[in-house]
Amino acid sequence: MPHKLSEIISWPEQREKAKTYFDSYGWPDNRNEAWKYTSLAHLKEGKFTASSDSAPIDSAQVIDSAAQLEGFYVEISGSAVQLPPQDALPNGISITDITADDNARAAAFTHLADNHLLPALSAMHQTSAIAIDIEKTDSAAPLPAVILNLTGSNKEGACYPFVIVRVHKGAEARIAEIHSSHAGLSCPLMVYEVADDAKLQHIRLQAEASYTTHLGLNQMQMGKNSQINSFAISMGGALSRLETHSLFLGSDAELAQSAIYLGRDRQHHDITSFVAHEIRDCASRQLIRGVLDDKARGVFQGKVRVAPDAQKTDGQQMSRALLLSRDAEADAKPELEIFADDVVCSHGATVGELDENLMFYLKSRGIAEEDARNMLIDAFLVDTLDEIEDPDFAAFMTSQINRWSLARR
Amino acid sequence: MNLLEIKNLHASIGDTKILHGINLTINRGEVHAIMGPNGSGKSTLSYVLSGRDGYEVTDGEILLDGESVLEMEADERARAGMFLAFQYPVELPGVTGMSFLRAAVNARRREAGQDEVDQLEFVKLVRAAAADLGVDNEMLKRAVNVGFSGGEKKRYEILQMSLLKPSLAVLDETDSGLDVDALKIVSDGVNAQRGGDCGMLVITHYQRLLSHIVPDFVHILAGGRIIKSGDKSLALEVEENGYAGLVDAA
Ligand SMILES: Nc1ncnc2c1ncn2[C@@H]1O[C@H](COP(=O)(O)OP(=O)(O)OP(=O)(O)O)[C@@H](O)[C@H]1O
Ligand SMILES: [Mg+2]
Repeated sequence: MPHKLSEIISWPEQREKAKTYFDSYGWPDNRNEAWKYTSLAHLKEGKFTASSDSAPIDSAQVIDSAAQLEGFYVEISGSAVQLPPQDALPNGISITDITADDNARAAAFTHLADNHLLPALSAMHQTSAIAIDIEKTDSAAPLPAVILNLTGSNKEGACYPFVIVRVHKGAEARIAEIHSSHAGLSCPLMVYEVADDAKLQHIRLQAEASYTTHLGLNQMQMGKNSQINSFAISMGGALSRLETHSLFLGSDAELAQSAIYLGRDRQHHDITSFVAHEIRDCASRQLIRGVLDDKARGVFQGKVRVAPDAQKTDGQQMSRALLLSRDAEADAKPELEIFADDVVCSHGATVGELDENLMFYLKSRGIAEEDARNMLIDAFLVDTLDEIEDPDFAAFMTSQINRWSLARR
Repeated sequence: MNLLEIKNLHASIGDTKILHGINLTINRGEVHAIMGPNGSGKSTLSYVLSGRDGYEVTDGEILLDGESVLEMEADERARAGMFLAFQYPVELPGVTGMSFLRAAVNARRREAGQDEVDQLEFVKLVRAAAADLGVDNEMLKRAVNVGFSGGEKKRYEILQMSLLKPSLAVLDETDSGLDVDALKIVSDGVNAQRGGDCGMLVITHYQRLLSHIVPDFVHILAGGRIIKSGDKSLALEVEENGYAGLVDAA
């Protein structure tokens, strides 16, 4: 996954490049190394039209639980966006619709990967574009901005929302992304620019409709001495891939990035992450957990690249998948590319079933099979959930997992 | 009616036959000790009684309160009153002590048609029981058995027993790993359960435990069979002479 550190290309040029790329490569299938475990061959047949539906769907449960999150709501529904009025926002936060602002869109694309499917799709089809700016203020950390993608659509509909979040120098931001569209294809692209000394707390929930193909990209760009605490859950959709591209652009930055995927029926969840340590003295810690029931399939691909100059890099990555059924399957492809010699990096990946010894211990105490399983599943996820720093975000994500567990029973 | 009746019990793990026809009857209030060489099948018997998957009963019968338990899952047997204190208690990372204990106690109470325990009441109850067994509050806050010492794990097993109040308790080498003082504390905990309704099967290698928990009967298990039964003097005999003579005679 190459990325560039180049100057801005104009938006029309950007789109032209994207089209050229897509025309020659099209939808990838298993023959493409980066898509070895997640084929998009089914999209070759699909005739998606960008959804212009402006009636948000009523994903009642998701919206109900999102309402637990006190904050400023940015609602996206196809090409319609609903922003909080500027005068309702506290000092230091501004939220702007940049759908018609080619320069802003072009600027936001500066660090995105070239020759890559997800940015190309976004450049070609963006249905909406929003910029969120958070400046440093004297007051306490503000309420979170909650980005809700609620595109109400049908299986033939597609949505390509784009959001750039700029956390300016020294600022602190809390952002929640909730993807709960009813589109056949949902391709959200989020760029987080976290400037020097800034801090971002971030959660992302993918709870799309049961037939949705979700192809999301979260790009994290980190300035000197910045911090990101990020946590994602993928639990909806028929097939979903979340790519995270994290770039360190200044030294002494810290990234804590965890993800959980929860699959059942024939769901397919893919988490593909790329962490680029270009600069020295940065740290990344990634915990990935997957729980797969029925015939669900999970994929984790994690590449950590440490450039020759990135001395004293601390890069940790651990993925574990738990299979609850014989027909479930998990693949993991961790990759370390280390070109510096003075670094501490580790990675590991395991796939396993519930431990019979632990199950027997619980059952021998009178705890019924299903309850015992759920206790062990919760236990499997809990240390990852502990990674979430913000207590409101932690409570919200925990409630989502509980909702999944309850539905599984 | 007998509390537990084991009749001609044969059991295998996979293709390996381990138990070869065990007969044993335990009445309410009785303590039976089982001694026997390593690998003789003591833990296997405890697992077969408690319904562990993979332990297949190929012949014979196990009756608890006159009812066969062979078709019951491990959790059903536990709710029916069986309890096993493990020789090697397992660690449950991510499962906090209080929630585990509450789940277990509530499962038993629901079965008995009782309301679930009140949270605050329960915390008090557990603290009191824990204090009696020298289990400190810090341990209750941690994940079950994680980072506990060998002896702490054994105390924790007995704590569970005292909260669950089983009608039949099988203690598999609860004494091993305990220091002298802990042995006394744990034995007191066990003796507190004794009498009335609870019958016990105490597996041990050492006469020392049996001087604290004085058994009504002692059985010697060797090669998957009970080769000799007697009173507490049999334990002393084993301590003096080992198993060799007994095994040869059988
Ligand atoms: N999973 C298994 N598969 C095959 N054989 C087993 C298995 N578990 C135990 N055994 C065998 O069964 C026999 C009895 O083992 P068990 O653990 O019941 O002995 P024990 O009397 O409890 O010994 P100890 O005093 O060492 O605790 C041993 O020969 C052991 O090797
Ligand atoms: Mg044993």
